[in-house]
Amino acid sequence: MSKELSSEDLLARMARQDGAALSEIYDRYAPRVYGLIAHILPSRDAAEETLQEVFMRLWSESGRLSEEGGSVVAWLVVTARAAAVDRLRSQSRDASGAGLKIHSAGKEKGPDTSARKSKAAGLAAATAKALDGNTETAKLCPADKATTPAMRPFPPAWLPEPKEITLIDDRLVLLHKAINQLPKLQLQALELAVYGGRSESEIATEMGEPLGKAQRSLRAALTFVKHRRRAVCGTWSANI
Amino acid sequence: MVCQHLEELYELWLLGAISEQSSRDLREHLARGCPHCLARVREATEMVYILGLAAKPVRPRPRVKSELLRQISRKTAPPR
Repeated sequence: MSKELSSEDLLARMARQDGAALSEIYDRYAPRVYGLIAHILPSRDAAEETLQEVFMRLWSESGRLSEEGGSVVAWLVVTARAAAVDRLRSQSRDASGAGLKIHSAGKEKGPDTSARKSKAAGLAAATAKALDGNTETAKLCPADKATTPAMRPFPPAWLPEPKEITLIDDRLVLLHKAINQLPKLQLQALELAVYGGRSESEIATEMGEPLGKAQRSLRAALTFVKHRRRAVCGTWSANI
Repeated sequence: MVCQHLEELYELWLLGAISEQSSRDLREHLARGCPHCLARVREATEMVYILGLAAKPVRPRPRVKSELLRQISRKTAPPR
């Protein structure tokens, strides 16, 4: 099949049950999508199953997605992250058993302070390689929590347009360099949210920090990346 | 703006990092069709995309694709 076809053209073909179009989309994006999944899930079998599920879901939803015209790769990445994080949480629930859950009756309740400090020390070492492809942080045990919004059928209206994603792809290296400039605590909080699927309160527990401090770290990190994105992608001229 | 208080929450929400109550508030607000929030959710999706792709690409084993295509062909094969 011609390499000239856009991913959105290929998606339209998939909607017409064209398996060759799925094969082409897979070749184009599987390494990126699998890299993300494998960063979240330490088990290769689980990561491969999740990858397969994500592409199966793309196949099933290709008709609906194609009508809306949103970015295919954005859908893949957001869906893959949500699927992997949900699986990580589910594995954690299975492994820990009811007595070891961090949450109790919907209220945040962490382990004792010494355990938290000890866990946070281990975490600091693990998150030092947060964004360079290391999978160790994924091995940390996440707490029980709700399914992420993205795991529900992701409304195509929430997807950016393909041209927006092309613009971002052209500047991705620059954006990732900016992320690596974040202060250590912010990077750590961001890593736990993105790759660990932790809530703000879980992040506080993991880091052995007060909730307010963990919240400020995560939100400051996200604001920084958001401002950088707006600046380098030309949608905003300030704050670079 | 009535949704100013949500400004900080979109990325956290997509990441599943905020409380269920905040998440519910945001969902209900979005369901009312707020164009500003829809634009912010798209931007937040871009953020998750950027952050997710900070992980290095890894080539999956070839058998994953083979199995995927086998399942697809089984789904699309006409009934005998």
